[in-house]
Amino acid sequence: MPSSFSQPKGQVSQAAQKKDVVSLIAALKKLLPASCIIVSTESQRPFECDGLAVYQQLPLITVIPETVDHVQAILSLCHLHRVPLVPRGAGTGLCAGAMPHAQGVLLVMTKLNNIVYINPQACTATVQPGVRNLALTEAAETFGLYYAPDPSSQIACTIGGNVAENSGGVHCLKYGLTVNNLLQVKLVTIQGQLITLGGDGLDEPGMDLLSLFVGSEGLLGVVVEAKVKLLPRAPRVQVLLAAYDSVTDAGDAVAALIGQGIIPAGLEMMDHLAISAAEDFVKVGYPTDAQALLICELDGTDAEVEEQLLVVSQCFKQHGATSIRIAKDAVEAEALWQGRKAAFPAVGRISPDYYCMDGTIPRGKVGYVLTRIKELSQHYGLRVANVFHAGDGNLHPLILFDSSIDGQLEQAESLGGDILTLCVDVGGTITGEHGVGLEKMPQMPYQFADAELAQFRRLKAAFDSEDLLNPGKGIPTLKYCQEYRSLQNG
Amino acid sequence: MGDLAQQLVAQIEHAYATKTALKIEAGKTKTNLGRGTAGQVIDVSKHAGVLSYNPTELVIRARAGTKIAHLNEVLAQEQQRLPFEPPAFFGEATIGGTVAANQSGPSRPWFGSVKDSLLGLGLINGFGEAMQFGGQVMKNVAGFDVSRLQCGAMGGLGVITDVSIKLLPAFKASHTLTFAMTAQIALEAMQRWSNLSLPITGMCHFNDKGQGFLYVRLQGGHSGVEAARVFLGGEQLGPKAAENFWQRLNEGRLVQREHSQILWRWSGANDAPLSAVPNTCLINWAGAQRWVLDEISNSPLKGLEQYQGGNRLNEVYGSLSAPQQALQQRIKHAFDPQSILNAGRVYSWM
Repeated sequence: MPSSFSQPKGQVSQAAQKKDVVSLIAALKKLLPASCIIVSTESQRPFECDGLAVYQQLPLITVIPETVDHVQAILSLCHLHRVPLVPRGAGTGLCAGAMPHAQGVLLVMTKLNNIVYINPQACTATVQPGVRNLALTEAAETFGLYYAPDPSSQIACTIGGNVAENSGGVHCLKYGLTVNNLLQVKLVTIQGQLITLGGDGLDEPGMDLLSLFVGSEGLLGVVVEAKVKLLPRAPRVQVLLAAYDSVTDAGDAVAALIGQGIIPAGLEMMDHLAISAAEDFVKVGYPTDAQALLICELDGTDAEVEEQLLVVSQCFKQHGATSIRIAKDAVEAEALWQGRKAAFPAVGRISPDYYCMDGTIPRGKVGYVLTRIKELSQHYGLRVANVFHAGDGNLHPLILFDSSIDGQLEQAESLGGDILTLCVDVGGTITGEHGVGLEKMPQMPYQFADAELAQFRRLKAAFDSEDLLNPGKGIPTLKYCQEYRSLQNG
Repeated sequence: MGDLAQQLVAQIEHAYATKTALKIEAGKTKTNLGRGTAGQVIDVSKHAGVLSYNPTELVIRARAGTKIAHLNEVLAQEQQRLPFEPPAFFGEATIGGTVAANQSGPSRPWFGSVKDSLLGLGLINGFGEAMQFGGQVMKNVAGFDVSRLQCGAMGGLGVITDVSIKLLPAFKASHTLTFAMTAQIALEAMQRWSNLSLPITGMCHFNDKGQGFLYVRLQGGHSGVEAARVFLGGEQLGPKAAENFWQRLNEGRLVQREHSQILWRWSGANDAPLSAVPNTCLINWAGAQRWVLDEISNSPLKGLEQYQGGNRLNEVYGSLSAPQQALQQRIKHAFDPQSILNAGRVYSWM
C-alpha cells in the first residue's frame, strides 16, 4: 500500500458502522436475491483492488445486481442510509478508481452483460454496462462493423467502465475516445432515479450532459445502458514499422507526418528498453538495436491506403528512419501489433514490479519530455521504459522497481509524480486516458486552480450532494488541496 | 480585437453583486435560435484573436469573439480545417457562439460535432470567476468535462472566453454528385452508402423546383475520392455550385421560410422511416436531421424542435423528465447561482 494515501474519507453514517451492517445486509436481502450479496472476507477478496493493485481495500459489502431495478433499489437504499457506494466493471482500471470503500458498498455491474440490440442499418449497438469491449466488436463483426475504442484491456474491460473512464486505445487518434463514439447513456443517480442522456439522434438541445457524464469516474451516477456508434470495417488495413537511432528523430517524424495532413488509424512509439523487452517476449522481429520504433496503421479504401503509404514511407525516411518494414499480410500486421500490445507484460518480465504512468503532452514536446524523463530516471536510479500513443502525445512511461526493496515503491511513486507535473509544465495533463481515481489526487491541485476545483465540487454536489458516489476519488476537496500545497511548500 | 477578459470578469462580478441579468452577445448570428432572453448586454465580440496556432500540433486556440471566417482563412493557409464545419453566417459567427450553440455543419455524421473537436476552453462563471478547463492536448481526462458541457448550453453556465480546437488536414479533393430521386429512395441510398467506408462528407435530400435530388459530397485524397465518384455514378455538380449549395445548407438558407411559418428541426435515428417525420422538406446528415416547414406551434413529435420562427418566449425545445429538469436546474445553480447569465435562453425554467 503506497505510503502517501490513506483511505478516502467519505461521509460515513451511523448505518454504515459495524453495528448497523447486519441491518444493511437485511435491507439488501429484501431488494435482491441472496446470491447477489457477498459479505464474507474470502469471497470479497477478488474485489479489493482494480488494475492498480498497490491500492487495496476490502469493501463492507459487495453486491452484484442482475437488473436495472436492482441497481435503482441499491442506490436508493445507500442514499437513504448515507452509505458510500463504489461502482465497478471488470476492475481493469489503472487509477484505483474502483478501489472499494471500507465503510461502503461495492456495486459490481458485470452481470448486466447483455447486448440488447445491434442495428446494422443505423450502425449502432445498445448494450448493458457489463458487456466486454471486445465482445461487442465480435458481435458487430457479423455485420462487417466494429466498435472503435479499443483500450489495451479490451478483452476484459466493460463498456460501463469505458464510459466511466472515457477510455481510448490505439485507434483513438483517428476514431476518438469513448465520448466520440457514444450516442446515449441511461444512468441511475444516487437518489435511485433513472435518467437518459443523449438520444437516437446526433445532437440534443441544451447543455451536453452526456459528455459531462463520460469520464466522470463513477462520481455522478451508474451507467445501466449505453448506445454506441459502430463503424464499418475499412476494406484495407496496412501496418508498417519504422526504426530510428533516436527518440527525437522518431518524434520529429510523427510531427512531420501529421503536418503533412496524414492522420493514421494508429501511431505508436516504443523506446529501446520497451522494444527489447517486447522482442524478448513475443519474438516478432523488432529491430532490437533501434532507439525508437514507430508502428503506424493506415486504413481506408485501397486507393486511399496506397496514396497514404507512399507519403508515410517517404516522410519516415526523410526523418532518418534506419529501416522500414511494411507488413505483407494480415498475419504479419497482427504480429507487428502484438509486440506493442504485449509491451506492458513484457516489461513485467524484466522487473519484479512496474508502475504505469499516463500523461499527455503536446506532440512537439516529445523529444524534450523523453530527455527529461531519462534525467529523472537517472536521478532516482530507476529504469523507465516508454511506450506511448505518439500520434496524440499520450505517454505511458513504465517505471521499473522492486517493491521488496525498502523504499523503492515510494521512490517509484515520487518519480511518477515528477513525470506528471512535468507533463503539466509543458502544457499537457496528468492523465490522458487512465483517469484520476485515487492515484492522481495529489497532482490535481497542480493542474487545477482552487476556483476550478471548487466548480468541480459544486458540479459533483448537483448530482450527489452528500458525496456518497465513489467518495475520495477523482476530485479533491479544497481542504485536501490546502494540505497538499502546504506539504509541497513546507 | 484584443484581450477584454478583465472587463468581462468585472462586468459579471458587478452583475453577481447587483443581481443584474446579462445577455451574452458577439456576432449576433444566433438570435433566432433558442428562446429570447432579456438583460444588460455583455459584448464578447471584441474579445477576439488567435492565441496560438502550431499546425503540426493540429490545435488552434482563439479568443471567443474570433470569427469563424477568420479561423477558416488562417487554417486554409496551412491546409487545415475545423472538423465540424461550422456555419460562418455571412462571416459574422464567432467561435464562442458556435460552441455555445453547438453548431456543426453537413459533415457532422462523419467528422463529429463541436464537442468532438473541442479540447478545452476558458469560462467565466456566474460568480465572475475566470477558469480554464481541458487544454490543448488530444487526450485529457483529468477532472469533469466542463468544456464539452458548454456545447449547447447557450451561455447559461458561463461566458466562454477562449476555445481550443482540434484540427484536421484540409481535403485534397472534393466532388459533389447529384441524383434525381425521391426522398424515400434517397433515404435508402444514404443508409446503404453510409455503411460502405466511402469518403463521404455530406448527404442531403432536397426538393428543388419540384424535383427531388440527393446530394452526395465526396472529400479526401485524390484517388479515394475519384474511386468513390466512379463507383457511385450520378451527375457531377460544378465546384462553385457545389460550394454554394453546401454553404446555403449549412447556414439554413436552403429552405425559404415565410414570416408566418415555423422551421422545425428534427434530430433522430438516421434509419427512421420517412413517415416518422411527416412533411419533411429537407433531409440532412444522411437521415439523422430532417426539416419541416409549418404554420403550427407545439408539435408533439419527439425530437422535433422549433428551430426558427414562431413565438420565442414559449418553450422551443421538447420537455424533459422531472428528475432531469431538476438536475439541470441544480447544474445551472452550480455555475450561476443568481441566474444572471442568459437566463431562460434554452428552457424557461433555467
